[in-house]
Amino acid sequence: MSNAIYASLSRQQGLLQEMQVVANNLANASTTGYKSDRAIFGEMLVPNGPGGAGMSIGALSGHAFMSEQGALKFTGGAFDFAVQGEGFFVVETPQGERLTRAGHFQLDPEGRLIDAHGNAVMGAGGNAITIPREATSISVGNDGTISSNGEILDRIGVARVEGELVRDSNTYFNAPGGFETVEEPTILQGALEQSNVSPVMEVSRMIEVQRAYEAGQTILEREDQRISQLITALREG
Amino acid sequence: MKSLQIAATGMAAQQMRVEVISNNIANMSTAAYRPRTAEFSDLMYQQYLTPGTITSQVGTLVPAGIQLGTGVRPSTVSMEITQGAVRETGAELDLAIDGSGYLQVTLPSGEPAYTRDGKLNRSADGEIVTSDGFPLADGIVIPDDARRISISADGEVVAYFDGEPEGQPIGTISLVQFVNEKGLEAMGGNMFRETEASGTPNQLVPGTEGVGFLRQGYLEDSAVDVVKEISDLIEAQRGYELNSKVITASDEMLAATTRLR
Repeated sequence: MSNAIYASLSRQQGLLQEMQVVANNLANASTTGYKSDRAIFGEMLVPNGPGGAGMSIGALSGHAFMSEQGALKFTGGAFDFAVQGEGFFVVETPQGERLTRAGHFQLDPEGRLIDAHGNAVMGAGGNAITIPREATSISVGNDGTISSNGEILDRIGVARVEGELVRDSNTYFNAPGGFETVEEPTILQGALEQSNVSPVMEVSRMIEVQRAYEAGQTILEREDQRISQLITALREG
Repeated sequence: MKSLQIAATGMAAQQMRVEVISNNIANMSTAAYRPRTAEFSDLMYQQYLTPGTITSQVGTLVPAGIQLGTGVRPSTVSMEITQGAVRETGAELDLAIDGSGYLQVTLPSGEPAYTRDGKLNRSADGEIVTSDGFPLADGIVIPDDARRISISADGEVVAYFDGEPEGQPIGTISLVQFVNEKGLEAMGGNMFRETEASGTPNQLVPGTEGVGFLRQGYLEDSAVDVVKEISDLIEAQRGYELNSKVITASDEMLAATTRLR
């Protein structure tokens, strides 16, 4: 096969994956705490004969997620929280500690604060937060301090990550390089952070991907015609 | 074409959201109904290139890697713990709970159930029952010749008789509280059942330890905020359409591929 076919083929494989990224973003346009994803393409240079310049092939080389804050939706729920600005809530899952921006919490039968997947939410001291049965009118201050009738119970932990973040399902992030506690976080009670997916951006990207894919298809068709014409010409000549 | 399946999960999620919203709107006049909200979470990621993979002998790492998402799924449909507006009815057996807590009723099977719907009635033998005819677990029987009854804020039921200025206490109505109200299982008929997630019921005197007071002659309205539901409905509908556009685009890409030969 000719190089032109290879170049356009790798572009199309990348576009199919980018389409998957767009589809996933739009599917998660209503997911609390979801961060939209971006595909990043990188160039690969392939030597193209002696002395000649290399041919460059584009392929998916990485991805990044947009960490900007999603819109806040005020729910009024006593155990709905949103982190304002940087930082993540920390939850203890069976696989280890995970970070999340989705603050839709509730209590379990023992009075521990858990997230929507049943995992315990960590306090600032790295402990599970327990709210006594008799505690009433729970309020959470701006820095995550949980109090009940003027008595401080605990403080919700917020973590910051310097190193890499790996996406996990359930809007969790994994920080294999560890994380550090934010000393003065800003937490809002009664609000949830919505997905930061921008439908306009995603739809325009989707159109772009689709048209680029069709353009790649045309190159394949033309290249196919060119080779078949070449074969015909050679045979008849 | 994974984008087809991903968009399908998105459409299913938005459709479920519309179902939850339509149930809320349908119950906008149901006594003590609490609106439900659907929450979603993303599915697993396919790790094409895990971040942190070593790319050279000197130990350089892949900074972000390639992780492709596979869609969305509903994570919870939870009940919002909000108090509905309290409406005056004047009926002596209408009770509103001003604050948290549930009335406990006994089902015909003997099993307990919990409700905030305080539209109570008298049964043929004088027992205080819910509008479905299930008796309150406190087992209060109103004497036939009682002229009127009064229920105090802390649940004491007093019956008054003709010719007697002093009333006679005939029982107390208690309230039940759960650590995790959201863990209760809705069973229809405005009733809930205890589950492992809700914790065990804690029976209390109204107005103590955080449970609400009782208000005789009032009923709690549905807590559904119709404006909020409609704006959510619009959002869900547009979300559905966006996902269907992804399906169309993916389909056209596939069509372009099949046109090749």
